[in-house]
Amino acid sequence: MSETLEKLSTAILEGDSAATPGLVQDALDDGVTPKTVLDEGMVVGMNEVGDRFRRGDMFVPEVLMSAEAMQTGLEILRPELASSGVKLIGKVVLGTVQGDLHDIGKNLVGMMCEGAGFEVIDLGFNQKPDAFIDAVKEHQPDIVGMSALLTTTMRAMGHTIKSLEEAGLRDQLKIMVGGAPVDQDFADRIGADGYGSNAVAGSDLAKRLVGDG
Amino acid sequence: MRANYQVNSGVRFQMLSDDQLQEIFESVLHVLEYTGLEVHHEESVSILKEAGAWVDGKRVRLPSHMVRRALELAPRSFTVYARDGNPEHDIHIGPGRSHFGPGPTCPNFIDVESLERRPYVKSDVPLVAKVVDALPNIDFCESLGTVNDVHHDLGATYEFAGMFPNTSKPIVAWSYDKYDSEEIHKIAVAEAGGQEAFELRPNYIHYCEPLSPLVSTQDALDKLIFAANHRVPLIFTPCPIAGGTAPITAAGIIIQAAAESWMGLTIAQTLQPGLPFFMGGVLSVMDMSNMILAYGAPELSLFMAGITELAHYVGLPLWQTGGCTDSKALDEQAAIEGSLSVYFSALTGGDLCHDVGYTESAMTGSVFQLAMMDEAIGYSRRITRGIEVNEETLAVDVIHNVGPNGHYLREQHTRDHYRSEFFYPNLCDRRNYEEWEMMGKQTMSDRVVSRVQDILATHEPSPIKPETEKAIEDVLAAAENRVKE
Repeated sequence: MSETLEKLSTAILEGDSAATPGLVQDALDDGVTPKTVLDEGMVVGMNEVGDRFRRGDMFVPEVLMSAEAMQTGLEILRPELASSGVKLIGKVVLGTVQGDLHDIGKNLVGMMCEGAGFEVIDLGFNQKPDAFIDAVKEHQPDIVGMSALLTTTMRAMGHTIKSLEEAGLRDQLKIMVGGAPVDQDFADRIGADGYGSNAVAGSDLAKRLVGDG
Repeated sequence: MRANYQVNSGVRFQMLSDDQLQEIFESVLHVLEYTGLEVHHEESVSILKEAGAWVDGKRVRLPSHMVRRALELAPRSFTVYARDGNPEHDIHIGPGRSHFGPGPTCPNFIDVESLERRPYVKSDVPLVAKVVDALPNIDFCESLGTVNDVHHDLGATYEFAGMFPNTSKPIVAWSYDKYDSEEIHKIAVAEAGGQEAFELRPNYIHYCEPLSPLVSTQDALDKLIFAANHRVPLIFTPCPIAGGTAPITAAGIIIQAAAESWMGLTIAQTLQPGLPFFMGGVLSVMDMSNMILAYGAPELSLFMAGITELAHYVGLPLWQTGGCTDSKALDEQAAIEGSLSVYFSALTGGDLCHDVGYTESAMTGSVFQLAMMDEAIGYSRRITRGIEVNEETLAVDVIHNVGPNGHYLREQHTRDHYRSEFFYPNLCDRRNYEEWEMMGKQTMSDRVVSRVQDILATHEPSPIKPETEKAIEDVLAAAENRVKE
């Protein structure tokens, strides 16, 4: 049993999307609980990916391959998790703010958050404050993540936070921000709960914000 | 299939025209034929006389046909082998290939713990060799110092004995005279498995230095004859100083240095036709306010580029120079002078570029300068590798598939090439401000120091054979006896 989980975490680490779904199925067939498959197989692999990336031993294209492998595994695992009533570690709503058409960085954060065991709702780019408010009401996320690439659009993050406050939704969630021109100082000034400098830092931050990192 | 299509692989650099090179070449022949050199070595004088030289006492003039014949005999391409058979540590000499390594014989060294300057000692040798062995862009080994704490005749022998077990990258060995040349050779031959095996796969290069202006010394030629007789690849490199021991003009110093080096070439090729031979030397300026040989001067890079072009014009590999500085510290001056000369040297395709890690105008060797330059060499190599143009790299299909507003991070094309297309720095910092701040606001020199200390704590070079360990013990014992008598 532990051997299958070890193979699974290795497959995630090596970004092996072909092998991962079969290994998830093998583990389930062996009677491993869906939660154990996730926590002791897949997330172990993804955590190692994060460690290696931070050390400079893995690069973005490899991290993405691992995140993709993670997603192929989650496709098998998600219905099992749902039917056994297991909750994921949290829910994240992500979007690029109004006026900004850039979303590569935000997409990477989404993949890494899924890899870390979050449910991710991606709103896409050029999203008005109202779109964030509607999504929070509909999905009841733990975290809202916003991104902007341009110095001209980053202030829209502040506007969105203000709108969430006015709608009375701010207290029920954590807000994280990122994007090339953003830094901790800016995040503090607009009243965000955290800032991540890259996709791995973003998913680490999400884990911390839900008390799991 | 492409037809009538020209490919330029790598960055092209050429300074002198064919006409200029020919004029310089003919001038070298003229100096050798009409001025000649003093040769302070009776055996060499008679070898040269026998071969057709015009001799008047110590003064030897070479008819140009002798020099042309020697140039014909020397190979342009050959291999110097890693002692342990690791093909990644072999050095393939040939057109378009440049290699880098430290220099020899600095009196002082920057202590790897205290970071203070002090005399170079025996225990520094293995450390330098280990760092050389670990650094990815350093290809051959010299010790960066003259061992001060052994008998004054045995520095070179102890140096080789200390380097050889600690790196399998080929060593460039200097020596005082023919006695320590022989001691060094015994160690190398023990590892190779005998003289015959050594000749098939030579694992070190011998370095000799004639005197400027225009003197071939007794010791330099003793060593040259030893190397030629034992088929050890040879470097014959003068160190003329423009305005002091050579003409002040670039063309003039290049001509004189070539004449000095080709006297050695002619003797070596007469004794051992086809012997691998590197033309020297170190060409720089005498600083007219401080009276030093400047190692960080732009003229050094310029002179070296000129003599490299001359060497390649006549079909010889060249002993290049770069990565060195006049600075006393691991500072901005060291980075500027070292990086620019490394980059310029890489552009010329000079075959073995030495003196990487020299500081204080060759008075102090520094593994920290060496490690910083390893990064500059990697950077330079990425540039000189150039732009590849083919179906795969044109990526027209990939551009089409991704289209407007997509991204390339998940493309197989990106995955196939991201490792080879980009240079990944080991020392240059590209973190964002917060991460950099969190890591303690380290500067380049902080990172250099920790990289060197990390290598020294963790790197394990491949071991030498047990019979070579025994050979080293025997050689050192016999050498100690030699100097007692």
